[in-house]
Amino acid sequence: MRIPLILRIAALVVAATAFYTYVGRLVPQKEVYPPAEVEMKANMSTDEMVKVGRQIMEGKGMCFTCHTVGKQGPLRFPDLQGVGDRAKSREPGMNDVQYFEQTLYEPNAFIVPGFNPGMPVINKPPIGLTDQEILTVIATLQSMGGTPNVTMDTKLAHAAGGGGPASGTTTAGGTPAGGPPSGTTPAPTAAVATSTSATATPAVVTSSADPLRDFGCAGCHGLDGSPAGGKKGPSLVGKKIDPAALSSALVKAHGDTNQNLTLGQIKALAAGLAAGKSGS
Amino acid sequence: MNRKLVAGAVLGGVLSLLAVIGLARFLTSHEYKDAYRPKVTGEDHTPREQGAVDAEKAAEDKAKAKPYEEVAYRRFPGVGSRTAIWVVAQLHLLFAAFVLAVPLFAVIIEFIGYRTKDPRYDHLAHEFTKLLSVSFSLTATFGAFLTFMLIALYPKFTNYLMSVFSPTFLPYVLLFFFEAAFLYSYYYGWGKFSPRVHLFLGVMLNIVGTAIMLIANGWLTFMTSPRGVSESGAVLSTWDAMTNLTWMPINIHRIIANVAFGGSVAGAYAAFKFLQAKTDEERAHYDWMGYIGNFVAISAFLPLPFAGYWLAKEIYGFSQTLGLTMMGGAFSWLFIIQAVLIGNLFLAANYYLWLGMGRIEGAQEFQKYIKYLLLGIACCFAVWATPRSIIATVSEVRAMGGSTHPVLGFLGVMSAKNTAVNILILTTFMSFLLYRRTGKRPSVPWAKVGNTIQLAIFTGAALIVISLGIYGYFVEAAVRIGLSVPQVLSVLTAMVSITVIDVFLYKNAQKTGEVHWGRVPAISQYVLIFIALTFTWLMGLMGYVRSGLRQHWHVYGVIRDTSPDAYTPTLGYATTVVSVTVLIFFVLIGFVFWLASLTGKPDWVEQVAAEKGTAPEPGAAPAPALARSELGSDPAAP
Repeated sequence: MRIPLILRIAALVVAATAFYTYVGRLVPQKEVYPPAEVEMKANMSTDEMVKVGRQIMEGKGMCFTCHTVGKQGPLRFPDLQGVGDRAKSREPGMNDVQYFEQTLYEPNAFIVPGFNPGMPVINKPPIGLTDQEILTVIATLQSMGGTPNVTMDTKLAHAAGGGGPASGTTTAGGTPAGGPPSGTTPAPTAAVATSTSATATPAVVTSSADPLRDFGCAGCHGLDGSPAGGKKGPSLVGKKIDPAALSSALVKAHGDTNQNLTLGQIKALAAGLAAGKSGS
Repeated sequence: MNRKLVAGAVLGGVLSLLAVIGLARFLTSHEYKDAYRPKVTGEDHTPREQGAVDAEKAAEDKAKAKPYEEVAYRRFPGVGSRTAIWVVAQLHLLFAAFVLAVPLFAVIIEFIGYRTKDPRYDHLAHEFTKLLSVSFSLTATFGAFLTFMLIALYPKFTNYLMSVFSPTFLPYVLLFFFEAAFLYSYYYGWGKFSPRVHLFLGVMLNIVGTAIMLIANGWLTFMTSPRGVSESGAVLSTWDAMTNLTWMPINIHRIIANVAFGGSVAGAYAAFKFLQAKTDEERAHYDWMGYIGNFVAISAFLPLPFAGYWLAKEIYGFSQTLGLTMMGGAFSWLFIIQAVLIGNLFLAANYYLWLGMGRIEGAQEFQKYIKYLLLGIACCFAVWATPRSIIATVSEVRAMGGSTHPVLGFLGVMSAKNTAVNILILTTFMSFLLYRRTGKRPSVPWAKVGNTIQLAIFTGAALIVISLGIYGYFVEAAVRIGLSVPQVLSVLTAMVSITVIDVFLYKNAQKTGEVHWGRVPAISQYVLIFIALTFTWLMGLMGYVRSGLRQHWHVYGVIRDTSPDAYTPTLGYATTVVSVTVLIFFVLIGFVFWLASLTGKPDWVEQVAAEKGTAPEPGAAPAPALARSELGSDPAAP
């Protein structure tokens, strides 16, 4: 008996579709749910913060989408094993908490040599961690090769209500301005960073105070008065440029990557260049 | 046969009527009735009736006082809202892709016919456009269906999109009217206008169709890479929102993919007609049509991975998190499935070409190379489908020293996969080249030099691709990512330069054998149908990753999905939805094929007359001109 053509074609279509469905079922099957909110207690100990921070890094923070722990070889993003120790001296003049704070709030301000920029701003969507959650993440990062010392009372310069440099309450190294809580290591003097104490220590600046860091220029350009120091772009400190000329200079140097800057931001950037912000 | 059909229809109608009457009687005999209660003769100590009246009034008052609340989501019964939207959107996209693609190559084929004065091309282009009008109606129907589904199931989110893109709606609708006007005048005006006017209509149809696609692409790419809105989603610039970071890559990717898909479906139509054909002339025509359809599909398919690279690069550029979710996170295994599909496409396309060599005299000269090409394709396919990490038991993981195989794991990384796909493309290109050369011998004096240069270019490109692939293992990520660009460029350069040389090399070539269209094994036609199915399935799969990539966001980073469907389903579930969609599409496109084939059938009166062996009765409607000039009986057909 000869099978009608239409049935032969239907059999082919159904068999091929069934095969592809089967292939789809051979691969790992996992449903991915929106990240669950982790309960944040105001009086968590640092040890508890480390655990909560780990949960956040695995979930809402999505850190392990890109970062690995204990992996070697050609990696796309820096491995986090030992980062708690490395962070203490990664950027001159910054202690580990300051460094972690910068990487989370201003990820393009410093790019680890050998890697491309790409980390999202962690307190903005789509990640959108709260300041408290970021504190726990910093505790966890510190625990990876170092000793965590942040507490829930630690004020970060970038945190909303954290005071910032202008208020003079920003502290780093895990201690609030009022003094170290029991069980935490007092911050080294050099690491205490406020804008009012900027003469003694490098400033941790807020977005409004330092447009060069804010717009990610620091990721490539030297901002400390020296040549680029292993970074890609020339030093920008003291480069006086008219705001009107800055736009075309940006387009020339960076294509259209800065096209979303508003006029106010261009002016702020030009003012920042002239003032040599971040330079000291 | 027709009497049986009529009798069956009458019987079916009577049975349906009886079933409806029976159902109505059953329902009326089982309708709800209040339980019997004796009448209360004395005073009612429990004022039940009054209580019922009060309760009813209270409910009515409550209903009247209910404030208006905007509903964020509504639930679609059974499969849920997300899956319902998914299927309808995918079907709309598949038909839209087909309707946009066919005029692209139909106009080109018509133009070739116009320039060469070869009527075969004109007939072929007309045959392709026969599939358009019904497909256009289905596209519009599914578009309306999708819009209503969005408004009904995701009203708040749809309202937001409308607030961002409302300035684009009127131009979109106007363009749609223009498309209908150009499409129908192009199809129905075939042979009725001068060739130049008709070609102009075809070109305008393509321009308008492409413009429609560009607008719709702005809406969907905005959801993945939003721009032109504030952090809270307030609209700052509709133009910026339209021309977001992934808009142009999607435009290019879709145009190329549509052509590949449209060519493959048109090829499947030709295969269907070939298998139905009763005469050698019909077989010759549809064999040729299938070959052209497949040629269009594979020609567009070859540069498609490069457009895909660009799209992926822009996704990474917009958000590394999004890029890594795609390639290294929840969707990474999806690309293994994609590799199986693309591997099958390459294998099937090459198999079809090799089978097709049988229709050309003197093909033996080239058939000896096929085994090497097959080996190359199989190796590349294996590398591409190698996963980076392997699902394994604890003991297996211990034995391997991790979830990555100590040897095969090296083939699961991008360096190896990029190399494999580039070599795959080069190999398939060589297949095309061999096919093109079959039955011909170059007559130019520099033929030997030309061949040597071509071989050198091919070898050089392959060496560059392989060397960079190996080099990628020894450099940092920042450098490695950039290596795909020279790999792609070397392959593209090789394909373009070899083709250019080949065109001059085989100009006025000496024929060493005739092409016997229609003389191919029937299995080659099933291969064409398989290619169309695989393309359709691939489009469904990649449509899923493009949209699903946003995970629990309607607009990535701006509008969050808070519906019960705000999770990423398993790949098994996703592939099942894709399969169901593909099957529905094939049922519908089968319907389109059937309708298109009706134009070639004689009139009812002619059929009856043919059955009786008599001439049509006087006054009976004449058969349409199209039917009389049908390709099977057209002396101009190959």
